[in-house]
Amino acid sequence: MDPFAGMDDSTTDDDNASQATEDDPQVPENKEPPAPAPPQPPPPTSSSRAKPHYELKHTMRGHTSSISAVKFSPDGTLLASCSNDRVVKIWSPFTGELIRNLNGHTKGLSDIAWSSDSVYLVSASDDHTVRIWDVDSGLTTRVLKGHTSYVFCVNYNLTSTLLVSGGCDGDVRIWNPQKGKCIKTIHAHLDYVTAVHFNRDAGLIVSCALDGLIRIWDTNSGQCLKTLAEGHDAICQHVQFSPNSKYILSTAHDSAIRLWDYNTSRCLKTYTGHANLKYCIAACFSVTGSKWIVSGSEDNKVYLWDLQSREIVQVLEGHSDVVVAVATHPQQNMIASASMESDLTVRVWVDRVALPQ
Amino acid sequence: MDIISDTKPKDPFTITYPTQVQTSLHSQATLARFDPSGRFVAAGRADGSARIWDLDTKSTVRWLEGHVKSVTCVDWSRNSTYVLTASKDWNVVIWDLSSETDPPKRKNIIRFDAPVASASFHPRNRHVSVSQILLVLLTPGDAYIVDLRSQHRSRVELCEVQEESDEEYQSHSNKHRSISTVARFDPSGKHVFIGTSNGQVLVFNTRTKTMIARHKITGAGSLKSLEFAKNGRRLVTNSQDRTLRQFTLPLYAPPSVDGIYIEQELEPTYRFSDPINKVAWHGMCYSPDGEWLAGGAADNATHRIYIWDVGNDGQFVTALDGGREPLVHLHWHPHKPAIASTTNQGNVFIWHCPTPERWGAFAGGFEEVDENIEYEEREDEFDIEDESEIALRKQKEEEEEVDIHSVEVEKRGDYWKWNAADDEDIAWADDEPDDDNAGWKLKILTEEEEPMN
Repeated sequence: MDPFAGMDDSTTDDDNASQATEDDPQVPENKEPPAPAPPQPPPPTSSSRAKPHYELKHTMRGHTSSISAVKFSPDGTLLASCSNDRVVKIWSPFTGELIRNLNGHTKGLSDIAWSSDSVYLVSASDDHTVRIWDVDSGLTTRVLKGHTSYVFCVNYNLTSTLLVSGGCDGDVRIWNPQKGKCIKTIHAHLDYVTAVHFNRDAGLIVSCALDGLIRIWDTNSGQCLKTLAEGHDAICQHVQFSPNSKYILSTAHDSAIRLWDYNTSRCLKTYTGHANLKYCIAACFSVTGSKWIVSGSEDNKVYLWDLQSREIVQVLEGHSDVVVAVATHPQQNMIASASMESDLTVRVWVDRVALPQ
Repeated sequence: MDIISDTKPKDPFTITYPTQVQTSLHSQATLARFDPSGRFVAAGRADGSARIWDLDTKSTVRWLEGHVKSVTCVDWSRNSTYVLTASKDWNVVIWDLSSETDPPKRKNIIRFDAPVASASFHPRNRHVSVSQILLVLLTPGDAYIVDLRSQHRSRVELCEVQEESDEEYQSHSNKHRSISTVARFDPSGKHVFIGTSNGQVLVFNTRTKTMIARHKITGAGSLKSLEFAKNGRRLVTNSQDRTLRQFTLPLYAPPSVDGIYIEQELEPTYRFSDPINKVAWHGMCYSPDGEWLAGGAADNATHRIYIWDVGNDGQFVTALDGGREPLVHLHWHPHKPAIASTTNQGNVFIWHCPTPERWGAFAGGFEEVDENIEYEEREDEFDIEDESEIALRKQKEEEEEVDIHSVEVEKRGDYWKWNAADDEDIAWADDEPDDDNAGWKLKILTEEEEPMN
């Protein structure tokens, strides 16, 4: 997600409007009473659980404007980052080298996603298009047009036969990436759709928007199956299914990350301690070693929580601005994080225990 | 999809058969089968080709071009890596979908000396991912078990035992030798069932290729097709007399060395027929749970699928109307209330069970009710509670462990209870597995780039 969507290009009314909505730190006025404060993390107990020992391995510089997303390729060999500077950069996560730039979008980028075979990368841009790239050649293979406003988020299904994207027009679109055609448009939300994600069998899509709602959709019919409303001051910023698709993980503007059982609409876990009041910050699961929840924070740090106990197990310091994007390596204990305007670095962190001795 | 069953009020009368056509796939097909995952449909065509449809995108992902005469049968390996096509051009081709080409590479081409009426993979083979034991029926009525494994390489014809000593059967077999009209593995793969032109079902042991039972079905006439419920104990037959019969099968003993077989007449538990039009049937299929039976009517003016509730006294439930293109073939989805039915115009209808739009789903925390209900306030509903207590309770609740990672192994195909340890038949079938691995993904082949504007 690009927290500064359209900011460097603020000549049109549209752009200004977007900035006002998106970067407004004030929560929309609400007559309802505020939701109870998220429970404080339990006092750190002398837990017998293993703790992570991540250390900074590489700092990659090159982006010239706020970075909005980082993603490891599913085969683990590449790291992609995208930025408001209109460029997707492909890095080696092991050496920190820049491998390739993907140029073509005419406005800033908000999100990227890899196909499951690590051959293609898809990017969502403020120029209203979604592009599919052949990463090896660096060429655009498809330009998906249809969104009537900025495209904010994008994802493949597990077999990479479908794409889903969400835009600032409130629409969720399902695409056939092979043909480059839009299969379905769902008028999903009344505000910016900030995240979309398929479940394992692609039968369901979860979306969230700045209207504060998390919705679950049937991919085939486009029907809304359920709406989860967060607490009133908790505008949801990002959602995704857990690796087994039984739960969803959401981040919200009350500085809390929540794990939901969407069948019962129950919040199972709340992770707090970081700062997230203003920007679209994504969280992710780390499942390669012990199970962690990883998220960026507005205090320029990366936080790791224990999935079960909800304790903060490690804080990674190094960035000099808000950390908006994090990603975990699919096979190794490796984390990538990226930061905004005054920092502009992508950092790769590796668990010391996992390092070759 | 748990979410649907969970958000709906629990309804004991929940319909579990499809009711509406969701999509029509224009395939020029004569038959269509779902793969075991339910993601793909293989559609065989009269021109000798077959198309693989991806149901996520409703688009063709592979063309299987190789036969020169019409495709008579298609089958999938357990994890969908291999597709088998049988054709009137005397060949059976096994296609390897994991190859990154279109048409895919041919893993095997098996040539016969007559048109092939049907062919199928061994089901146990599917279970442990081996696609190398095939049952093949040729048009003249010869059934073969073809074993492609290097240690077992063979092609054995399944022959009915003619008992010379038995006078009755001597006179019977003298009248006319029966011809095999349909051949199927049972879901365990231990047995092969062969239907004959004189209304008999012959049962063979797959490993020894010996006949272990002969069942006479009175009044049936020539058998047209056989289908099994997934548990393998129920058999439904389609025959010349336009009646579908369901049988409960006996338990077959392992084949004896002296070649003794059971001679037994089977009594149907149910008979299904159309009492008014008395139409014939082009095919039938059980639902995955075996609770429903779908029959495709051979009506030459309409596309009709009859549904019977076999879990509930075999009552007739409904006739699905698919319009004016007559039905030629049908197949039930491996785990959903969905059917693929092929029309004589070559379209493949995908039937589904639509869920009604629930507007309550758009509002978080609201529940839709069908009629007014008197709301009963809970005793403590509006009690004022200390916030810290609520927070404490919430914290307690959050102590519960969650599992975000492990995926429940799908239960599909596991209806049959396997006990390989002490079973010679299964040990035999498990020998030499191939590389039809679970978790395999079909490579996406991007078409030639369209000019970009």
